[in-house]
Amino acid sequence: MVPEKLKPPINFTVLILFGLILLSLQLMSSATQESSQLSEMYSWLLLVNALGSVVLLGLVVANIYSLTRQLKKREAGSRLTTRMVSLFVVLSLVPAAIVFYFSMQFLHQGIDSWFNVEMDRAMEDALELSQASLDQRMRWHLKQTQQLSERLADSSATLATLELEQLREVAEASEMTLFSRQGRIVASSSINPSDILPSLPDEHIWLQLRRNSEYVALAPIREDELMIRAIVTVNAREPQYLQALYPVPVRIADLADSVEFAFVRYQEMNFLRDSLKLSFSLALSLVLLMSLLAAIWVAFISIRNIIAPVKELVKGTQAVASGHYDQQLPVIAQDDLGFLVESFNEMTQRIARARDETKRAGVEVENQRAYLETILANLTAGVISFDADYKIRTANQAAYRIFHIHVSHFVGQTLLNLAQDYAELAEPLKSIQRLLVQSDDEIWQQRIAFLGPNGRQELLCRGTPLFSQEGGRVGAVVVFDDVTDLIQAQKNAAWGEVARRLAHEIKNPLTPIKLSAERLQHKLATKLETSDADMLKRSTMTIVQQVEAMKEMVDDFSEYAKPSKKQTVTIDMSALVQEVLALYALKSGVTFKADDEASLLMVKGDPVSIRQVLHNLIKNALEAIDPKGHIEIGLHRVQKNNADFIEIALYDDGPGIKEDQIEKIFEPYVTTKAKGTGLGLAIVKKIIEEHGGAIWVDTTRKIGAGFIIQLPAYNY
Amino acid sequence: MPSSASNKGCLIYFLALIWLLPMSAFADAFAVAVKRAEMNIQGDRYVLSADIDYQLSPRAKEALQNGVSLFWVVQIKVWQQRDYVWDKKLVYKEVRYRIQYHALLNMYRVRNESSGEVDNFSTLPAALDLMSRVRDIQVIDRVDLLAGERYLAGVKVSFDRDALPLPLRPAAYVNLQWYLSSDWYVWSLKN
Repeated sequence: MVPEKLKPPINFTVLILFGLILLSLQLMSSATQESSQLSEMYSWLLLVNALGSVVLLGLVVANIYSLTRQLKKREAGSRLTTRMVSLFVVLSLVPAAIVFYFSMQFLHQGIDSWFNVEMDRAMEDALELSQASLDQRMRWHLKQTQQLSERLADSSATLATLELEQLREVAEASEMTLFSRQGRIVASSSINPSDILPSLPDEHIWLQLRRNSEYVALAPIREDELMIRAIVTVNAREPQYLQALYPVPVRIADLADSVEFAFVRYQEMNFLRDSLKLSFSLALSLVLLMSLLAAIWVAFISIRNIIAPVKELVKGTQAVASGHYDQQLPVIAQDDLGFLVESFNEMTQRIARARDETKRAGVEVENQRAYLETILANLTAGVISFDADYKIRTANQAAYRIFHIHVSHFVGQTLLNLAQDYAELAEPLKSIQRLLVQSDDEIWQQRIAFLGPNGRQELLCRGTPLFSQEGGRVGAVVVFDDVTDLIQAQKNAAWGEVARRLAHEIKNPLTPIKLSAERLQHKLATKLETSDADMLKRSTMTIVQQVEAMKEMVDDFSEYAKPSKKQTVTIDMSALVQEVLALYALKSGVTFKADDEASLLMVKGDPVSIRQVLHNLIKNALEAIDPKGHIEIGLHRVQKNNADFIEIALYDDGPGIKEDQIEKIFEPYVTTKAKGTGLGLAIVKKIIEEHGGAIWVDTTRKIGAGFIIQLPAYNY
Repeated sequence: MPSSASNKGCLIYFLALIWLLPMSAFADAFAVAVKRAEMNIQGDRYVLSADIDYQLSPRAKEALQNGVSLFWVVQIKVWQQRDYVWDKKLVYKEVRYRIQYHALLNMYRVRNESSGEVDNFSTLPAALDLMSRVRDIQVIDRVDLLAGERYLAGVKVSFDRDALPLPLRPAAYVNLQWYLSSDWYVWSLKN
């Protein structure tokens, strides 16, 4: 794994936003300092921060909303996100709340501790002291002014001006003015000669003056200058008022100012105590709220980032569970989760590879199976496999061809079940079952002969037990061949050999015997007496006749044994049968029935041989029946094993064939008739088989005898 | 991130603000109002004289007594009314008053911040009385007003909340006792 630069979970913009929030809070905090220039912006800062809180709250609420929706939809990773966010909120909320609570406590107690009764008292006392000190000074100046006013009692206006100047200097007043009763300036003197207009008392002062005839008060002439204004009545002919302004010594004025400033400040602070608490609490709450909301929001973002790979993993796992093994997840971070994701990717790759291999192997096995099945199906030998309970697992097409039971009827059945369903096959099926059970773990081979629907059939069965890898017996396979034809061919060959030998060994001596007998007669006939000559003649006649008969018999026999030399032409069976029947026209009681369409009843073969077959069969039938008996000949086109055959069925209502003879009736020298060579049916069978057909006794017929011939149909 | 939720939050906040703003109109018991205002011609100039009624709320009085300075700004405006375009502002003037209680002298001091004039009064009504009478404020030259045009003059007294001590300010925006501004008093100016 290449170590990459670790990425922080929070991106740059979020950091900037955080910085802005902190800056705004810091500005607000600074603004609470009275002296700060930011003080004027306090309200705006408060509003901005409140708005910021609302925006953050909105973000948090939006996040919570989307998380709830994800929870409802049971989206991957939503529950983990909820748990982590809840944990984070609780972990951050609890200490923040505790700190907040104690901060509030300290804040309130701290502010309250600034104010106490002693301070209050001290402040008020200090103010009173200042006022008392100034009061004393005022009274003193009033008294001084009164004394001075007596000196002005009788002075004229002109004199008064001069006097006033003098008095002012004596009294160390900054300004002295003499007013008439109406408030007009009579005379004035100022320490500052540039002041032309003296300080005039306002209406309020006049009112008090008229009531009390004297007035003294502190007068803030200018903003930073404190004076004592004293006005007294001058008892002259015409009452006048003397106003004197005395400066308060700078030190005293400063002290008074200082005391007042402190007192006012203290008063103000006392008054603002609750507001102060409120505004500090507000600022503190806002700071807490903003930082909490921002933290929760950032928690949402970072938790989402952390959960993202888990989410992907969950999705990936679901995909893998539903069979999509080619799922590859993006590796977001090179941490433990990233490692997990990489491992997951590797795992899915391996699973996908394994699945592909399994699939390939499966296809291969399937191909192999199909290949074997094809081979099995095309085998001429029937193959049936059994499981451990002797139920048939598979059977090939050849089994169907041999038993004429459809493959689908085989599977899942036992042979005994099949024997019940197909009574005509009960014998061989039971035999095979018995052999299977008896054989135990041995390979066995057995010939089974039975009478099938096509006549006598002979099967060569070979059974092999199947074993599992552990050695237990899991079933068996039975392979069987229809060897009927093979055995027949062997028999025919044997008979052929016998015939050849007979012809050779018997026929050769017959000619000398016959010639010798004729010579005897020729030579001795004249020499013997009539009676003897007659006897000789009869005897030689008998010899010659018997030799001829024997020769004929041997010829027949060799004819049977000799492979016929066929000339093959297309034969219209319907016409041929009718042609043969025409020879027996005199004999009534023969009915012939054929399919309408003659063109469908064509075979390829030797017409002479076929005609002989028909002759033999019809002759046999005629010999078997009564003069009033019936012979029925049918000609049909049938389909068997996907091939077309022309079926000739010949029935009579004679005595029929005995059951013990049915098996052997087509063998040579088997006859039920008093006269006959016993080769007729053997020859018939030989000809039919040479033409690729089959002949068998119809055992289903209960009255008389029935023969069925099937010859391959000729299609053009 | 869906922005609808935060938008909704902002909307609610602004609705609350809009709801709070007209509340000044209901605070009659301690309202500040322009009773009368007129422009007189003195020589070549228009001179404003106005009477303003200051009714302080208990809270404001309490603050004043405890040494908090209160500030009002008398805003004077003259503008030309026009039919198809927005009005044209000709003059805007401010006169700023500060009222403060002096514990040592037991006096109310009114200071005209614009001219620097200071007056002391032993009672609050006397001090307010001075502020009430706005006299002889030169507003605009006669030549600046053209014949045949319509002109409007307006006077408004605004309480300067931002001049309050900081701890009082948040409350001053919320508490009706601190809604001590008048509405605009507008009249048409005849040339």
